[in-house]
Amino acid sequence: MIISHQIIVIGGGPAGLNAAKYAANAGADVGLIDSGLRLGGQYWRHTGNAEVDESMHHNFDQGSLLMDAVNANPRIEVYLESQIWSASVINNMIILRTKDQTFQTQRLIIATGAYDRSLPFPGWDIPGVMTAGAAQALLKGNGVIAGQSVVVAGTGPFLLPVAAGISSHGGNVVGVLEAAKRLSWAPKISVLIQNPSKILEGIGYIKSLRKSKVEMRFGQAVVAAHADEDGLLESVTVANIDKDFHVKSTYLLKCDVAAISWGFTPDTSLAGSLGLKQGVRNDGSVIIEVDKDQRCTHSHSEVEIYAAGESTGVGGSDLALAEGAIAGLATAHSEKSSSQLRKLRHRAQKFADVLLQVYPVAAGWKSWLTPQTLICRCEEVTYQKVREACEELNARSARDVKFMTRCGMGMCQGRICTRNVSDLFDSEDHDRILATYRPIITPITLGELAQEGLL
Amino acid sequence: MISFTFNGVELKGQSGQSVSAALLVNKERINRYARFSGAPRGLFCGIGVCFDCMLIINGQPNLRGCLTEIQPGMIVEVQNDH
Amino acid sequence: MNNNPDVIIIGAGVIGVSTAFALSTAGLKVLILDRGSVASGTTSAGEGNILVSDKEPSPELDLALRSRDAWFEINEEIGGGFELEAKGGVVVAQSDAGIDGLRRLTSAQRKSGIDAQDITGNDLHELEPHLSDSITVGAYYPQDAQCQPMIATARIMRAVKAHGGEFISGTTVTSILVHGDRVGGVETNKGRFSAPIVINAAGTGAGQIAELAGSYLPIAPRRGFILVSAPAPQLIFHKVYDADYVANVASSDETLQTSAVVEGTKSGTILIGASRERVGFNTEIDFSILRILARQAIELFPILAEIQLLRAYRGFRPYAPDHLPVIGEDPLIKGLWHNAGHEGAGIGLAPGSAQLLSDAILGKSSFMDATAFSPTRFSRAGAK
Ligand SMILES: Cc1cc2nc3c(=O)[nH]c(=O)nc-3n(C[C@H](O)[C@H](O)[C@H](O)COP(=O)(O)OP(=O)(O)OC[C@H]3O[C@@H](n4cnc5c(N)ncnc54)[C@H](O)[C@@H]3O)c2cc1C
Ligand SMILES: Cc1cc2nc3c(=O)[nH]c(=O)nc-3n(C[C@H](O)[C@H](O)[C@H](O)COP(=O)(O)OP(=O)(O)OC[C@H]3O[C@@H](n4cnc5c(N)ncnc54)[C@H](O)[C@@H]3O)c2cc1C
Ligand code: FES
Repeated sequence: MIISHQIIVIGGGPAGLNAAKYAANAGADVGLIDSGLRLGGQYWRHTGNAEVDESMHHNFDQGSLLMDAVNANPRIEVYLESQIWSASVINNMIILRTKDQTFQTQRLIIATGAYDRSLPFPGWDIPGVMTAGAAQALLKGNGVIAGQSVVVAGTGPFLLPVAAGISSHGGNVVGVLEAAKRLSWAPKISVLIQNPSKILEGIGYIKSLRKSKVEMRFGQAVVAAHADEDGLLESVTVANIDKDFHVKSTYLLKCDVAAISWGFTPDTSLAGSLGLKQGVRNDGSVIIEVDKDQRCTHSHSEVEIYAAGESTGVGGSDLALAEGAIAGLATAHSEKSSSQLRKLRHRAQKFADVLLQVYPVAAGWKSWLTPQTLICRCEEVTYQKVREACEELNARSARDVKFMTRCGMGMCQGRICTRNVSDLFDSEDHDRILATYRPIITPITLGELAQEGLL
Repeated sequence: MISFTFNGVELKGQSGQSVSAALLVNKERINRYARFSGAPRGLFCGIGVCFDCMLIINGQPNLRGCLTEIQPGMIVEVQNDH
Repeated sequence: MNNNPDVIIIGAGVIGVSTAFALSTAGLKVLILDRGSVASGTTSAGEGNILVSDKEPSPELDLALRSRDAWFEINEEIGGGFELEAKGGVVVAQSDAGIDGLRRLTSAQRKSGIDAQDITGNDLHELEPHLSDSITVGAYYPQDAQCQPMIATARIMRAVKAHGGEFISGTTVTSILVHGDRVGGVETNKGRFSAPIVINAAGTGAGQIAELAGSYLPIAPRRGFILVSAPAPQLIFHKVYDADYVANVASSDETLQTSAVVEGTKSGTILIGASRERVGFNTEIDFSILRILARQAIELFPILAEIQLLRAYRGFRPYAPDHLPVIGEDPLIKGLWHNAGHEGAGIGLAPGSAQLLSDAILGKSSFMDATAFSPTRFSRAGAK
């Protein structure tokens, strides 16, 4: 079956929800597609049980209002559990495929968000080591606490809600380890002051952590994980690190979960097959490039493609909301002024840029690797094999390493390892972008692919 | 409460939970064993990106535990050999 | 950095690197240049089949037979490590015409020294237990082999370097230096390199290199898509394809042709091909072709319907109008040699082609007559 809409939005997180709302309010007929069971994206991930959800979120009111507005809007059709596995432009139509349906439109908004950035270290494949986002998704989406004694580590403000969430719901957080120094914010205090809501949110988390007697340590990182005899996480090696991330000293910390986040990686899966211009940010992340109206650059004449939210660069939910609104208005060709929204976006963008400066990931993480450390979790490719490909087989990029070692060829198609391999090679932008090209966004069965009557 | 089986043992989960979340509540942390080394793997990214949480669900391999909602009577097995 | 090489080779694909290996083994000092890195062109798209089954008796078959054995010799020489395996090929025929054609082909192939075994019913299903029940006629080719072409090329490159050869990546040849009717070297984005012999192993770029030298080679891209499954326990044990494939390979039609080609690999993934079409360097993925490939594969192996598709990619086969490789000295420019246009068989044909060219350059007699592959076969009217 082929379903058409004037405008299609992919992604039901803050950016996509707002984009759909603004576009529909401007009179357009909108299809909103998300792979999940419920709307909300990462930020407003929820269980659907109102009581649980209220208690899990810092800011669920805003989210439920927006989700209700979208669900109630007769101009918006919502498609859940609809993962887009491929996209292309055929005869001036954007074609989007789920495993059993095809969507078509001439105006698309991509709002596919981001996922946790993970750095490899010895033992990062042991069950119990997970991303901070995973711990958060367990809590917000399932009402489940990730473990009995949890270390939250990595860098960035996201560690705070994760730790506060776990501890305030009865979990034992044995440490919050922030790689940045304690006063890393000080030089940027002016930007902080312009975002009072962020200060309040942060203070709220810190208070909550204090109440639970959770200790926050700065300049520290998890650099190795250790398994018990069943192969499950038993402890981690914590290092005091310098500003380049080199290890100064270490100690052992017992835990059954280590929830680690090094920021986020934008999900630009759709960009490659749609031929959208992508770029590389200072932190090495590949993003979809957009203009001031959130419009993408491409060579298809009759179609319009926009992108909003974290697929255009990581920046949090406020930025995603503002970008979504601007994209929604622009896509619907609305006359309505978006100058207020642009101001919001500008402020949120500045804040996001400062975050990247205050919470950098320094290259010294490479010194945590041993020859046996896995770089590619799926295909179990070790650091040693990557080095050999480089030193003996003339591999020069993540793409070369992929073909020579299968690093990045597994089920996740390199979503977890490719960015790290590009960092290991100090890759140029062109190679970084090339390494993210995945025309099959997510696996489908050959039987599903073989169906007749779909484009 | 929903009943499902994991490796033949009956477990309970909450409706609306993912398979991985329900397993964690039951202190089951191993979803699969890696293809080459046989090392255990469990939930990692939690949102469908990393494929480390793959399980065999009702006989079908390679399904992500973090994305699949638990259903009454579901037969869940650890994934080996893939 | 390059103290006067004897030979400059343009292209670090399987053909250029194999040629470098043959020449450096013979004692020549080689310099390989590539605009990308090693094996970054069509070679990275190859499935790595080393086939004798898909060729009718012809000079190309002689080349294929020699190459096939040479792959195993190289494997010994350089210490393996590129997944070379004589896994065998199974060709099946579904229609009456297909069955007749296949039987005629195997009988002719046997006369040329190929081990081509006619098989039916149970024997066929013993080789491939998941083959569709409705398929009962086939042929088995134990000589058909496979390798991982990018690793193979990279490993051979390592051996070339051990022989004193040099490789410079990221180097695009922008002009060919010609003095009178003799080649003198190349001009690149990284400067000028001189040598009395220049070998054009630029794959789909070989026509352009000939043009830069003021000569002519009609080599164009022929696009092909491959589906790659998620890793799974082994279901398919050989390279299995429909007899139609042989006809498609030889066809000169510009429009799309597809035939089912299915194989399991050592890494546990299943590769599914093959499509052929002439659409220039159009890099877009055509999903309607992917759907056809999936349907055809499921027809051969119904169990594949349950298997997950993980990746899909396309590559451009470098092909000449008569589907034969171009191996030999340029008719107009002395010292410019071509080794290109191997279309869908460049991995399989690489070591033999390298040996033919190296023997010709060194003035030695070779294992076969290379006239059929001579660049002089294209009309000189095309030359500028
Ligand atoms: C696991 C995780 C947890 C997070 N938790 C918090 C938090 O608690 N607090 C906080 O401030 N920030 C959190 N973040 C940061 C978060 O990324 C942003 O706050 C915000 O959600 C970004 O909004 P967005 O609309 O750009 O993308 P998202 O909210 O990520 O929404 C993108 C949506 O697109 C869908 N999608 C993607 N690809 C496809 C496809 N091919 N087909 C169909 N649908 C698709 C996804 O299912 C998702 O629902 C979290 C991030 C992650 C990765
Ligand atoms: C989908 C597909 C499947 C295939 N499967 C098989 C198979 O199973 N078995 C088999 O035998 N064959 C197969 N082939 C064919 C095989 O891949 C090719 O015949 C072979 O790789 C050609 O090798 P090459 O070295 O000539 O070309 P390439 O690998 O393309 O090498 C040429 C090199 O020249 C470089 N170059 C070009 N122009 C310049 C310039 N101006 N300056 C510097 N460098 C330049 C390029 O960067 C490139 O690296 C397949 C092909 C495709 C597309
Ligand atoms: S935990 Fe990463 S896909 Fe489920």
